[in-house]
Amino acid sequence: MCVSSGPAILARGIGKSFRQRLVLNSIELHVERGELIGLIGKNGAGKSTLLRILTGLIPRDRGEVSVLGMDPSVAAKRIRERTGYLPGETSVYQQMTGQQFLDFALSFYPRRQTALLDDLLDIFALPLQQRVRNYSAGMKQKLALIASLSPDLDLYLLDEPDRALDASIRFQLRDVLLRMRNDGRTFVLSSHHLSEVETLADRLEFLLDGSLVAPQVIAKARARLQRLVRIKLTQNAILPTNCTVLTKEADGTMILEPIDAPLDWLKLLPPSSVCTAEIGIARLEDLYKLLLAEVLA
Amino acid sequence: MIALKTWREIRVMSLMYLLLFELLLVPVILLWPDFYGDLRRSLPSMFKALEFTKRIGEGISNPDEDFAYRNWLAVMLYFRSINLVGIAGAVLLGTALFAREREAQTLEFLLSRPVSRIRILWEKSWPTALCLVAPIFLANWSAILWSRHIDIVVPFLPLTLASLHGACFVMSFLALTTLVSVLCRVQAHVAFWVGGFTVLQIGIYLIPRVRRYSLFRLSDFDWYAPIVSGNHGLIDMFDPVGHAGLTTYLVLATVLLYALALRALQKLEL
Repeated sequence: MCVSSGPAILARGIGKSFRQRLVLNSIELHVERGELIGLIGKNGAGKSTLLRILTGLIPRDRGEVSVLGMDPSVAAKRIRERTGYLPGETSVYQQMTGQQFLDFALSFYPRRQTALLDDLLDIFALPLQQRVRNYSAGMKQKLALIASLSPDLDLYLLDEPDRALDASIRFQLRDVLLRMRNDGRTFVLSSHHLSEVETLADRLEFLLDGSLVAPQVIAKARARLQRLVRIKLTQNAILPTNCTVLTKEADGTMILEPIDAPLDWLKLLPPSSVCTAEIGIARLEDLYKLLLAEVLA
Repeated sequence: MIALKTWREIRVMSLMYLLLFELLLVPVILLWPDFYGDLRRSLPSMFKALEFTKRIGEGISNPDEDFAYRNWLAVMLYFRSINLVGIAGAVLLGTALFAREREAQTLEFLLSRPVSRIRILWEKSWPTALCLVAPIFLANWSAILWSRHIDIVVPFLPLTLASLHGACFVMSFLALTTLVSVLCRVQAHVAFWVGGFTVLQIGIYLIPRVRRYSLFRLSDFDWYAPIVSGNHGLIDMFDPVGHAGLTTYLVLATVLLYALALRALQKLEL
């Protein structure tokens, strides 16, 4: 558990390029101790690069970073003594048995959370005496998760922890992470399962095009979403012109942005032409799509 | 723990490597009396083909059988076993050290543990070095026992010193392979580059005029024969300006290559 004070992670203006390609641009991140942060972004957005910089696996080009009060470029080993890291690509030794891999992975840490380890072994029900090469992708991910979460540490950086896991296991994993968070552990995790991250995270950070989206931009996008209308019209209904169609799904459901107030706009439609209508969109997926569209624009 | 893991991965290969050395060694020792008799009657023409093979031929057909036998051991134990099996072993074990971990995507796991990269390199390298070097010494010492079957006494110290030089030569190749293994993402690429380099060196060695530029000059009959015959001692081997002082340069090259491998590993971005 944490003994020193201050935020778990404080990053200011982190920049990173790979062969002239800018991957991260002026990242500002503040994570308090005991917080669980969800990192969202499309593939190649720089999520893994950011997590690798925080663990000291790769150096940053610019900016200041403090993880548990230490600079990863100076004290990477000391940071990793208190930080669990789950790589984005499942990395487990194929020639070992599951038990051998766990023994190997946990041997690097002086303390482990025995009760949690037992719980995870119960939940995941892995055949630990089998060689890892015989495991499925999901089983390998479970093994990597046990190895990353079981050490008794302050901070956990998890790159797509729910990858290759089925829904029931993802829910159980969510409960485990919440329990650990309630015990005061800090988490930064990236995921593509937006709805689950939303229910799990204290706060979401959107990493788009190499930059974290500023809170005011997110607030503005959320406000805009409140003005959108999700609507499904009857077959021959005519759509009024004073709106913009943002998306149209296969079943005919549309997301629209009316020029006027949404309620006034809805009143323009004859009730008989509306199958379903809903003002204001709260889904994270839609917020993400909107932010993505704005950033790309 | 990394060292234990490395040892577990390569221990069988080390045993096989020792077995291979013994298989190459035992027949050439036990068949020596017949072979020597044939050599004394007529030196095969293949020995007369090149300047250095002619020297080998003269050495192993010397009227003094003890001297001839030591030259024979120098050719068989070192020039053949170390330069062939030893280098192959160094390349085989060295390629796997980092490139295989990168290929299998386990290197990120390893590097993200609370352990320094110098310790990772050390704990991967010393068991590998031990697995390579121990069979060289064990096989060479076993030559002392096998030689008793043909009533020839081979002294321990010269054989050990020659083994030390052979081990240094193999270690320099292991260090080179380790460096390339850190630099390459794919294990097959490491084998390609180091294997290609080795084949080139062998090719150069077989061309009379440019032979002196081959690295295999550091580990050939001209070097091993005087040591096995007891003409050079440990001090001579580490005298950097003396004829026998090549061992010094092999040690320096090994240290330099490991230093470069460490630098590459510390700068490695996944």
